[in-house]
This record gives sequence, structure tokens and C-alpha cells, in this order.
Amino acid sequence: MVVKMNKNSGCSRRFLTAVFAPWLTVGLATFSLAVCAQQDYQLGLGYSVNDMLTVGGYFSTEYAVGDDSEEFVVDDVAILAYGNLTENFSFLAELESVDFFRHDFETGSSESNVPPAIERLYGDYKFSDTYSVRFGKQITPIGYWNLQPINVLRETTSNPRFSREMYPKFLTGLDIYGYTPFDENTGYHLYFQGTEDLDDAYININIDRHLGLSLDRQLTCRWHAGVSMGRFDDLDNTATRYLALNTRLALGKLTLFMEGIRDLHESNSGLHEQSTAVYGQGEYRLTPQHALIVRGEYFNNELTGIRERIGILGYSFRPVFPVSFKVEHQWHSDSGDNLWLGSFSVLF
Amino acid sequence: MRWLIMAALFLPVSGNTAVGSGYAVVVSSESAIADMAPDKIRDIFLKRRNFEGGTRLIPVNLVGEDEPRREFEAAVLGMDREAINRYWISNHFQGVSPPTTQASLQSVKSFVENVDGAIGYVPLDMVDGNLRVIYEF
Repeated sequence: MVVKMNKNSGCSRRFLTAVFAPWLTVGLATFSLAVCAQQDYQLGLGYSVNDMLTVGGYFSTEYAVGDDSEEFVVDDVAILAYGNLTENFSFLAELESVDFFRHDFETGSSESNVPPAIERLYGDYKFSDTYSVRFGKQITPIGYWNLQPINVLRETTSNPRFSREMYPKFLTGLDIYGYTPFDENTGYHLYFQGTEDLDDAYININIDRHLGLSLDRQLTCRWHAGVSMGRFDDLDNTATRYLALNTRLALGKLTLFMEGIRDLHESNSGLHEQSTAVYGQGEYRLTPQHALIVRGEYFNNELTGIRERIGILGYSFRPVFPVSFKVEHQWHSDSGDNLWLGSFSVLF
Repeated sequence: MRWLIMAALFLPVSGNTAVGSGYAVVVSSESAIADMAPDKIRDIFLKRRNFEGGTRLIPVNLVGEDEPRREFEAAVLGMDREAINRYWISNHFQGVSPPTTQASLQSVKSFVENVDGAIGYVPLDMVDGNLRVIYEF
């Protein structure tokens, strides 16, 4: 398995990005700035030109201080556009620059990565509530964390390792989804990928095949649960089967999340390894603007030999919901990785 | 016994029609929809569901925060404005926009009467032969 956090390398599929992305970026950014000046614009909801086009975007900055590291990062800069082209057909396009600007205070060096990549590009056709199809590059419909992957929508700056290394964050392929015909409270996603990623710039695992099924159910008005299972093949010819469980419990000001996953890796060379990851998180909302967050993580990847426990205590302040200030402290089982992390992010 | 009878008179009526403060969720009288459970109305106005009997539904809200909208959000959506804002901001990232709005109750009524699949809410005393009540709150 290749765990890829590639920033600059390209591949043949970057051609699409190289040709279209800069022009689309300039056009959408100019257009966004112009329309954001309009009086009926509401921060966090984008600007709706008409039913066929809404434009928006987000950015985030991070400041991290560890035992022997200190850096500032303009992490994500992204613009997105979506709309309904017909009654049943809609689209979404998102371009993002990850690590837009990075300054290392230890070495005094800076670097930037301006060219954007195609983060998402898909169409949706809704046949009915029980049967819809999404095709193109999209977020893999697994669990909670993966579906809200951007800084401003989360209550902590960091992601659990669970969401970064155990399954492909993105799917370039087909997702058939809806509510099951036999139970209106159970949703399903049946998803498939048969090619390489549309744009592999920021993907976490480079795969060329993925088949999976996710089910989720609202058990009570406060309690939600889901399960995902599937198999993906990475470009190193390692096949991974996974089973993931997720549950969320809302108790007034307190919301509890738990997600866990078990991976079984098999390679052509006869390698058989297992990985396990689980996290639990509690969010206590003191007021609509202020929240305290506690998270515990366990991560064990036999393939990479990484095994660790992480504890996180965080504080989130949102003067308004689309604007987020966060600070957290991470305790790692290897204390040399302990970290203070702060961020500022905006959805517009 | 007298207490039981009195209590029964003031209990909410179960089923799709609830005793409320005088508002109705409505569709066009030409619609095939006869009634709808409040959970489904909630899902339609949150755009979690989009269809009823093969018809693509178009929810319409009253613009702003006037009483009919606040009543609807509290009684049917079961969410305060803060929670609703959070919901739509999160959905903006997923490419889902809030329902369309109309500037007045009369505009909501006209929209529901004239747009196929439209579903809205108006005071009960605005309901006439052009509208069908599918839920009261």
C-alpha cells in the first residue's frame, strides 16, 4: 500500500488540471469576489447566482509548535461551484491548493504551492429517493469524519489518523445511493472505482480499484450509526479489505462520536498484515460560539509498523459558524510528537 | 372522571394532523399528494429527500424570520435558527443549497399553486380551493 501525501509530483492525469484549473480558478475567484460584494450574500452559504450556479470556497491557516518544530501554514485555499442543471441533474466542482504557503520558523524557510488540483468534480442524477447516481471524483462515503473533511466544519484542527491512512479519502468512479426501499430510515451507498484517481495531487492512497458498501441509519432522533465495508487495490498491488463502524450520539450540548476500522492487507508476495484504528470524540458546546473537545485515538498499522495512541484536548470558538478559531494540544504515545496546534478558517 | 375528559380534550391529536397554532403545509390542489408525515416534510425542507410518489418536490420558505417561518422551523423541523444555519452551512460544502424563498405569504401561496411539485406553508385562513392541506401545525 502506498500512503501518499504528495504535494508536487504529477502524473498523466494532472493534464486536466494543468489545462483547465488555472483558468477556472481565476475566473471563479474573480467572479466570487464580485458577487460577495452583493448585499444578499450570506457568509458560509456561497453566492447563489441562480438555481444553476452557486459559488463559494474556504481557506484555513494553521500554526503548530512542537518540541523541535514551529511552523505556519496556509493549508487549504479552495473554491467550489455547484448547481442544478436540470430538475434531476446537478454538479459540483472544487479546486484546492493544499499547503498554499508554509513557513518553517526553525529553518527560516518558506515555500508555496499555488497550482490547484481537482479536489472534487462530479455530477449527480436523482432518479428517486431510493436511487440516485453520483459519477466523477467525490469524497468516499465512509463514516462521519471523511464527509466533513475541511478545517472550518470540524471542531478540531487535526484529523484522526483513522481518517488519513486507513481508506482512500476520494473515489473517482460511481456511487449509487439513496434510502433503502425496504426501510426509509436506512441510507445506502454502493460505490465503485475502476481507474486511477482523476487528480492524484492530494489523495492519501493511490488506488486503481475500489468497491464498497456503506449503510447508515438514524436509530433514534439522537442516535445515528453506520457501517462500511469494501476492498481497494493500490498501485503497489496490495489489496486491502476493510470494515468500518461509526456511531454518533447527541445529548443536548454534548455530542459523542466513535469510529473504528479494521483493514486486512494482502499483497502478491503473500504478505498478510492487519491494521486497526479507532477514535472517540466528545464535543461539549458551552455556548453556540464556544466548545470544548476531547478525543482519544488508537492506531496500529502493521503494514507501516506505526503504532500509537493520541490524546487531544481542544477549544473551538466561532464568532459566527462559518468562521472558526481553534486551538488544541496533542499528547502522543511518543512524547516527542506532542504538539500545540492552532488554526483559523473561513467558509465563504 | 371529569379530569380525564378535560385532559383528553386538550391532548394533541395523533397522526398527521396535529392541533397547532393555525398553519398548514400545503401543495397545489392538483397535486397527487394527499397527506404527508411530519418527518418526511422535515426531510424535504432539509433536502434529505426530494420525491413523493414520483414527483420531484420543491420546498419553498418564507424569507426572513417572520412568525410563520419560526413556527414552522420549531414545530416541523424541530430546530432553532442556530441549528438550521449550521446545517445549511455544512451542506454548502456538499453542494446543497437551502430551499428557495418567497417574500410574502401571498407569494408562497402563488408559488405553490403554480409550480409543479412545490410545497410550502401558509396560515390556515389563507387556504382556498387552489391548495391542499397535507399537514397542520
